Amino acid sequence: MKRWFFAAALVLGGAAVAQQDVTITWMGGSNAPAQQFAAASAQRYMDANPHTINGTEYNVTIEFVAGPESTTDRLSLYLQYFEAQSPEVDLMNIDVIWPGDLAAHLVDLYQYEGFEEAVEAHFPAIVENNTVDGELVGIPLFTDAGLLYYRSDLLEEYGYDGPPSTWDELEEMARTIQEGEREGGNQDFWGFVWQGNAYEGLTCDALEWVASHGGGTIISPDGVITINNERAIAAIERAAGWVGSISPEGVTGFLEEDARGVWQAGNAAFMRNWPYAYVPGQDEASPIRGKFGVAPLPAGEGGSPAATLGGWQLAVNAYSDNPAVAADVALHLTSYEEQVRRAIEVSNLPTIEAVYEDPELLNSEVAWFADLLPVFQNAVARPSTVTAPQYGETSRIFFTAVHDVLTGQEDAGTALAILELDLMELHPDFEVGTPE
Amino acid sequence: MAQSRIGMAPASRGARKGLRLAAREERMAWLLLLPSVLLLLTVALFPLGRVFYSSFTDARFAAAGSQEVNFVGMRNYRELLSFTLRELPYQVDADGVRRYDHPRLFLRRLDTSMSYDEVVTFDLFGTRYVLGAVRPEFVRSVIDTVIFTVVTVSLETILGMIVALALAAKFFGRNAMRTAMLVPWAIITVVSARIWEWMFRSNRSGFFNSLLDRLGWGDGNTGFLTEPALQLPSIIAIDVWKTTPFMALLLLAGLSVIPKELYEAAEVDGASPIRRFFTITLPLVSPTLAVALVFRTLDALRVFDLFQVVFGERRFSMASFAQYTLVANRDVGLSSAASVVIFLIIFIFAIIYIRALKVDSGD
Repeated sequence: MKRWFFAAALVLGGAAVAQQDVTITWMGGSNAPAQQFAAASAQRYMDANPHTINGTEYNVTIEFVAGPESTTDRLSLYLQYFEAQSPEVDLMNIDVIWPGDLAAHLVDLYQYEGFEEAVEAHFPAIVENNTVDGELVGIPLFTDAGLLYYRSDLLEEYGYDGPPSTWDELEEMARTIQEGEREGGNQDFWGFVWQGNAYEGLTCDALEWVASHGGGTIISPDGVITINNERAIAAIERAAGWVGSISPEGVTGFLEEDARGVWQAGNAAFMRNWPYAYVPGQDEASPIRGKFGVAPLPAGEGGSPAATLGGWQLAVNAYSDNPAVAADVALHLTSYEEQVRRAIEVSNLPTIEAVYEDPELLNSEVAWFADLLPVFQNAVARPSTVTAPQYGETSRIFFTAVHDVLTGQEDAGTALAILELDLMELHPDFEVGTPE
Repeated sequence: MAQSRIGMAPASRGARKGLRLAAREERMAWLLLLPSVLLLLTVALFPLGRVFYSSFTDARFAAAGSQEVNFVGMRNYRELLSFTLRELPYQVDADGVRRYDHPRLFLRRLDTSMSYDEVVTFDLFGTRYVLGAVRPEFVRSVIDTVIFTVVTVSLETILGMIVALALAAKFFGRNAMRTAMLVPWAIITVVSARIWEWMFRSNRSGFFNSLLDRLGWGDGNTGFLTEPALQLPSIIAIDVWKTTPFMALLLLAGLSVIPKELYEAAEVDGASPIRRFFTITLPLVSPTLAVALVFRTLDALRVFDLFQVVFGERRFSMASFAQYTLVANRDVGLSSAASVVIFLIIFIFAIIYIRALKVDSGD
């Protein structure tokens, strides 16, 4: 009704061109800063109304809906929308591991103007991750990569020049600092905290251990099962050795926030986590404010540092009533200007390379983003595209095998041998081989 | 004779008329019930039938018509319910010690059409056996759920009875106590599960670890929710905390209808409180108790939210296994087959239970 009144008013008012009213529903993250930023970002698009898309003028309203906080729950919700072929949500934030699984339900963005040029500015690895059978099913919104957080004050106190560059160095520093701090009276102090629970996060951590030892990426991008090799075994064996020595026993139940809890209370020398943990660590009330730094993760023998690729993309629902308009909104939300703001206001890592050299960013609190550009550029992707639509199961049998080693129920050699057999069964078309 | 015939006639006419009325009323009743029956068929039997049907297919969740659905017969059921019991081979080494094959590697090397994984390995009469299943997670989820159900319902019944007896007595502030008692039950499971998850944290920031540490037990790093042996006891504790109030409430209702005179008479006769409990309270509260038991048992067998929040994909209940298989694994066929098996398990449980407790005997 309202729409008709509006149209009638336009005609009566003698407007030259009738604009079409469209409402785009966007489902994204649920934490408060993310929601505030989304609302502001959407408002900037609405302020620029009307938009001419494919020759039609649109007056666009963006309605932001906060999705479930857990990515697993968000995925189940999306899958339920897709199963029902529902047009309820037009634009959706999708996790970096989903494009392969969800491609059948997402619009190929290449069919709309501007995307070919737009993606050229983004990191190629992330664009490749969003490309399924030559179709661009998502445009990068922000990225994530595993980082090493270190206590600069403690490193100095114990006579180290800087953060470790190899796992051996990390182990040595962690042990020394842990022993020293405990003798100093802090019984709750640990050397190194990370994510060891049996969930997707462990797949990320373990992929970093394996890749940094030159042990490959579980399954290669061209479909070769490479996980059962000496370097991977050594990497996971090493991590199992941390449990109970430089890492708490309970680390095998840790998620991101558990690790951050220990770290931010000042009870750990090192932490592996995503960039998000930086801002809360520098909070006014944080005991470690100004006492820590961020570095690339260490390398293992015969390998180079590796960070697992994370991050979120914007995708357009294939069952949307207005895919072209939703795609145009996605283009705005992922633009250079929006990524600069996003980096400064909510410390999400930009996916456009040039943003890292933007003067505005370099003068902000997150200027360190620029120093770590190589880390983000060379982030290792999980084998989600090649294993789609069975990435979920692939990841689960991987993190279950690793978790069995961490909790001492299996030795790494046996666990990876069994894992290889399970992966062969899950992916009968894949070959078995060694990395590279 | 004639008189009696005359006397009979109106009666039988009346009976016929009554019959016709009854038939009419029955028809009317059916007509009135028809909408409900149709509704029931559409909302209950239709989905159930669909689940049953899809359990024989290889359908995938949210497949967008990109994949055709094939009829696979009993394959999903075979996958769920295939077991193998094997003697574990060994070599005797130089010291005469038996070196057993690794059970999981041994099972995978078997030359069978199915690929088995270890459920349990055990020794019997000097021989080591391994029980394998194609989906050991499912078998474990069934075992875990049954243990969870038996233990939680027993504890909740005993504790619920104690609480109910305490609250049945007259004392100052009884109403306030009755209200306060219901708080754990009133909290949404997802919320209470998360609260307990925090209390069970694996370091001294968790309530239990800090408590144990103060008492000098443990090293303050006990992984209540990560150590396999502690996972079930922990989740049972959460459920008992949450559901005992509900049990107590039901039993309190049962207790309040027992006539006070019985207790007075028994007291006059010199029966001890324990005697009074077993001869008066228990028999008279037993119908309520039976209903409460059936209610709680069937509820516990279907447990989903608690396992989902606390364990996620680390350990499954029957229901969370079905959900995982459907959504994360996107395997509609296998998930449907699991749901049918779970349905049958609960159904059989219910029948045995209701018979045993004589809930449906009518008196």
